[in-house]
Amino acid sequence: MAQRETTASRSEQAPLLQVENLQTAFFTDKETIRAVDGISFDIRRGETVGIVGESGSGKSVTARSIMGLVDSPGRVLDGSSIKFDGEELTEKSEKEYRSLRGSDIAMVFQDPLTSLNPVYTVGNQIKEALRLHRDMRGAEATEEAIDLLEAVGIPDASRRVTEYPHEFSGGMRQRAVIAMALACDPELLICDEPTTALDVTIQAQILELLDDLQEERNLAIMFITHDMGVIAEVSDRVNVMYAGEIVESAPVVELFENPRHPYSQGLLNSIPGNQPDTDRLSTIEGDVPTPNEPATYCRFEPRCPKAFDECSKVHPESLAVNDDAADHTAACLLYPEDVSQAEAVELHERRGSQREVSER
Amino acid sequence: MSRWQYFAKRLLLSIPVLLFGTSITFLVIRAGPLDPVSAILGPQGDPQAYNTIRRQLGLNQPLWQQYIDYMVNMFTFNLGQSWVLQPDTSVYSLVLGYAPRTIWLGFWSVLIAIFIGIPLGFYAGLNPNTFSDYFASFGGIVWRAMPNFWLAVILMSVLSQSEKFFFGFDWQTFLYSTNVTGPPPLPDPIWKLFTNPDQFVRALKKIAPAALVLGSASMGNEMRIGRTAVLETINSNFIETAKAKGVPPRSLVWKHIFRNALIPLVPIITGEAFILIGGSVLVETVFDISGIGFLFFQAVKNGDMPLTGSLMFIFIVLVVLINIVQDLLYTIIDPRVGYEGGA
Repeated sequence: MAQRETTASRSEQAPLLQVENLQTAFFTDKETIRAVDGISFDIRRGETVGIVGESGSGKSVTARSIMGLVDSPGRVLDGSSIKFDGEELTEKSEKEYRSLRGSDIAMVFQDPLTSLNPVYTVGNQIKEALRLHRDMRGAEATEEAIDLLEAVGIPDASRRVTEYPHEFSGGMRQRAVIAMALACDPELLICDEPTTALDVTIQAQILELLDDLQEERNLAIMFITHDMGVIAEVSDRVNVMYAGEIVESAPVVELFENPRHPYSQGLLNSIPGNQPDTDRLSTIEGDVPTPNEPATYCRFEPRCPKAFDECSKVHPESLAVNDDAADHTAACLLYPEDVSQAEAVELHERRGSQREVSER
Repeated sequence: MSRWQYFAKRLLLSIPVLLFGTSITFLVIRAGPLDPVSAILGPQGDPQAYNTIRRQLGLNQPLWQQYIDYMVNMFTFNLGQSWVLQPDTSVYSLVLGYAPRTIWLGFWSVLIAIFIGIPLGFYAGLNPNTFSDYFASFGGIVWRAMPNFWLAVILMSVLSQSEKFFFGFDWQTFLYSTNVTGPPPLPDPIWKLFTNPDQFVRALKKIAPAALVLGSASMGNEMRIGRTAVLETINSNFIETAKAKGVPPRSLVWKHIFRNALIPLVPIITGEAFILIGGSVLVETVFDISGIGFLFFQAVKNGDMPLTGSLMFIFIVLVVLINIVQDLLYTIIDPRVGYEGGA
């Protein structure tokens, strides 16, 4: 019942960020790596969307594609669409994009120890963002920088603002980075593994801080991590990525209670302590493959415990796992679960060929 | 600790270094085959005169006595007089006479290296793996690889018949008629150089080939290191953070990349000063510029003990001072370098 209500309120407002069939590929001399291969998801205001997956599954490239920070030889392919607040981002010029970066969409990176410039004071770097997007200078900007540092919970901010990054501890630096990201009141905050490099106690503090800030400012947060515990803590909705594709998407409670895709099941099983009865921690054997050709099969098939013949021939599309759950999708030939397996395979096949036609 | 306290501490700590360096110098000069007496007398001196001169110069005194005299003289900046090269001329007046030409040479060769090498390196680093990068990098290796003495000789012979190589462009009559070699015409007093543009250009043209040769190796070095430093900075996380903040490319390069890339270049630039002391001996000899390097070379060759020792002392003081300046520069451009401990 409660879930139906949230579903209703979700659909009321238009999403802040709409990613549709995003494809980002890197063209090297040897091969073309399709780091992000046709993913779609939405983020609404005030909502936290988590993206989980192993290293190399394309999480960070997704974030950089949204920020327009994919460097050569990488490129966002034609046919991708990123709509932010109704505006199409993929068609923007570099200069238009730049005025968006830092002001409407901000990003917090993984390693706070290296993501601040060591030769400038923390205040200087916050003020730079203020000057670029809000045209604040001098004493006014310093005042604002101090306020921002206070807002992210840095004590004695008026002294800290004149200090260099190396005089801050790791957690303090991540707070400073968050303050910098919030300097221009962004609507969307992309966090690329912001807690990975921190101690667990500091992790908890940073997550709490993000939570408070989200409430205060009605921020939309895209939260990238490979830590299932963190995801459970922060997000409203989770997208599970594997080899450049979103394999499952569901509200967080639903995903943790009832994961459908074998990959999500494997991920949850490999959290230490989740299976207290067994002697050994269960893992997913093997590595994430490097996606270097358009998928005509399931990329998880070689590692999948439930794989069957069709898995290597039919590309699974994102479909609702059953008729009742409209906001729980999985890209797996086992679903929808309320039809027979042969029918399900056929459904995926049909959907796949439809998509190909529409792309052409 | 404030910057000035740090500076005072460094000065204090440099005294043992000076003591050690000067002692080694004394040892090398006295233990080596230098024989100023026969240099003064010539090959056919009779033993009587030999002993007289030896006594007059104080060389018959015990070594420890000579050592103490030498050290006391040096540290009270009593640099003594030349024995052989220009007898009875004080070392001070010799240095004052020869140094301006070396300083003029060194100044331009450092400037050439800094203003050509570093910009080229930064350009190559900002445009990696393009044709211009390969061109600059390859050029840097070539410059680096050409030894001073070889380049000096080649440049000299090319310039002295430049009309054959450069389609009628004649270096010797270009702007002012000069020879390729020879000392630069520095006016007396020296500051006339800056009030009289004619004198300035004349002196510059004369020193240019030698400065190019002397600066070439450092130029190549600075280019290579500059390129690496820029590449390393460009790929660091804080550049990505800055990009995500919406920093435009121009201030990305000048604010965020430039200053960080300069840090590894500081020791390279100051290190050049040492190369200039050593390298100028060769280049000054080939281009016939009678500067300090030339003077030092002559002093050693002729067994002029006090002149050699005093010049060495001056070199040691210079090296120590340059080192202190380098550390000060570090504290200015890199806030992570602290004043405490580890010195």
